[in-house]
Amino acid sequence: MIDGFAVELRQVVKKFGQVTAVDKVDLQIRDGEFFSMLGPSGCGKTTSLRMIAGFEMPTSGQVFIGGEPQGYLPPYQRPVNTVFQHYALFPHMSVYQNIAFGMEMQKVDKNEIQQRVGETLEMVHLSGMDNRRPKQLSGGQQQRVALARALVNRPKVLLLDEPLGALDLKLRKAMQVELKILQDQVGITFIYVTHDQEEALAMSDRIAVMNQGKVHQLGTPEEIYEAPANRFVADFIGESNFVPGVMQKMGPPAEISVTGTEQPIAVEWLEDGINAGDAVVVSVRPEKIRIHPMGQAPTYPAMCRLSGQVEKVIYLGTDTRYLVRLNEESAVVVRLQNIISGGGHFNEGEKVDIRWDSAHARVFKE
Amino acid sequence: MREKLQRFPALRAWLLLLPATFWLIVFFMAPLVIVLVYSFLERGTYGGVVWNFTFENFQRVFDMLYFSTFLRSIYIALLTTIITLLIGYPLAYFIATRPPERRYTLVLALMIPFWTNFLIRTYAWLTLLRTNTGLINTMLMSWGIIHEPLPLFGNDFAIVLGLVYGWLPDMVLPIYAALDRLDFGLTEAAGDLYASGFPTFRRVIWPLSIPGVVAGAMLVFIPSLGAFVAPAILGGGKSLMIGNIISNQFLAAHDWPFGAALSTLMMTFMLAGTLIYFRAAKRGDAQ
Ligand SMILES: Nc1ncnc2c1ncn2[C@@H]1O[C@H](COP(=O)(O)OP(=O)(O)OP(=O)(O)O)[C@@H](O)[C@H]1O
Ligand SMILES: [Mg+2]
Repeated sequence: MIDGFAVELRQVVKKFGQVTAVDKVDLQIRDGEFFSMLGPSGCGKTTSLRMIAGFEMPTSGQVFIGGEPQGYLPPYQRPVNTVFQHYALFPHMSVYQNIAFGMEMQKVDKNEIQQRVGETLEMVHLSGMDNRRPKQLSGGQQQRVALARALVNRPKVLLLDEPLGALDLKLRKAMQVELKILQDQVGITFIYVTHDQEEALAMSDRIAVMNQGKVHQLGTPEEIYEAPANRFVADFIGESNFVPGVMQKMGPPAEISVTGTEQPIAVEWLEDGINAGDAVVVSVRPEKIRIHPMGQAPTYPAMCRLSGQVEKVIYLGTDTRYLVRLNEESAVVVRLQNIISGGGHFNEGEKVDIRWDSAHARVFKE
Repeated sequence: MREKLQRFPALRAWLLLLPATFWLIVFFMAPLVIVLVYSFLERGTYGGVVWNFTFENFQRVFDMLYFSTFLRSIYIALLTTIITLLIGYPLAYFIATRPPERRYTLVLALMIPFWTNFLIRTYAWLTLLRTNTGLINTMLMSWGIIHEPLPLFGNDFAIVLGLVYGWLPDMVLPIYAALDRLDFGLTEAAGDLYASGFPTFRRVIWPLSIPGVVAGAMLVFIPSLGAFVAPAILGGGKSLMIGNIISNQFLAAHDWPFGAALSTLMMTFMLAGTLIYFRAAKRGDAQ
């Protein structure tokens, strides 16, 4: 491997007629990494994965696997294997035959096939199921066979397209943990496609957040959650408040006047390309906001403070959500952990002050 | 009555079967029994039967004269089946891999020639193939490509050609139906698992389309074995099949019992073949 990347996409574009499914994507996936592609339906995740596997050829740009440009190599000549969303197990073959298929095609020695199938079945906890047909297995078991069928070939990279999508929630959670353990065990690079952000956050080393064929942000789960690069990412990952305002002063310290209030608030991080006078939104996560009885919020230098009125209180067990109305146009959600039993520290209609650390606010273009 | 129907769902199911059962008994089983009974009787002078029980007809069936025609018919039917398969499978595959809207057009195009009567289409072949006046030989000779007319007519070649033409859709449609149901995601999976085109076909596509192939083979083989229009017209009266002999027994020779015996032999042969197939299919499923 020349550049140390398991998979690299350079300026990859894929068009289907008029539709641009993937739009100038650059990705560098490190060796041994658990890498996720996350995004809403139709954003081009599957298409990107299929271009790595060789089922689709890029309209322009290049895919590299292990440093080698793949060009128009067909799937059967690429050192990757895929776990398909609907498994695509061969219905006329037994579990054993399904798993052995890839090795038979590569003319692996019969004894070795037998040994590796056995080991892999054990790894996915399916020992003894060798002779079953896919139809005779539960959804979760079929999923494991699909995984075993790919892993047994010891590919450089394993591609997984929403592999848990067809499972119920409980099984899904269990399989997430199992997949993660398995990946540690085999040390293979995983490229994992999902539209479930919780799944991506829980499992990935790094995530590429995609929308409309473009990568909007690439980073660790923490980076993506704590420091979203733009409004789309802030909105798509977790929950965010978006308070509209106008860019007052570019700073530092930069200041924004929130629509409907007089006092400007200080902000630290601005999206690229914002100028004074632009309409912007201030984005803060609900759990990053504190709430105080009116006039009792302590004042620190880097603290932003706004006043409002509690409009709605929703008790959620582990925490309570307050909808605080700032003015006609905007309201924010505040999330407080229920450390003391009894919940309700504030009542609907109560006048309150809210505050947040300016380091926790992100300012995006409107 | 209504209450009874609701109380006994099985009764309702049987009522659904009533028209078909009636039809089968009156118009299918009864003639079959008549054929069977006639095959054990003696012939009347001007057709019909004399009610004397005899095995003589079946002894004659195994006379080399007739039995060899019977064997030749099996050979022609087999050849027809194999050729329709070789032409029909790629065609069915082509249709099944087109976008859905195009598939219906193609299936329709396949059927259009069959809106014309089989007899008329076979006569059309006659005008093409005839040895001295046929279109193909006339044209090839006038262009100087050949000097002697090709033996296109009055032989097994002409019969097989007519049969292949006639039964091709019966081979294509069941295979198309099987391939249409096939999840082409499976061929991608095979490709992902290092199988190139031919191994993917041999290990995945072919095994999953076998039910269609078998259905198509039966739909072509059975009517080909009993064919009499194509051999009568394209065989030029020289090359005959068992179907011609049977129809001759009834229409020309006025030997109904012998015709019935030949028919019975043919039916027994087909029944045996079908049973063997179902036995094999069952075993295949159980695997
Ligand atoms: N074979 C194709 N022909 C035409 N358009 C296609 C084809 N495959 C994908 N597209 C289009 O490309 C875009 C991206 O599709 P893709 O399947 O990559 O999305 P995705 O992110 O995987 O979505 P999902 O989460 O729903 O699976 C969509 O607009 C889709 O309609
Ligand atoms: Mg997809």
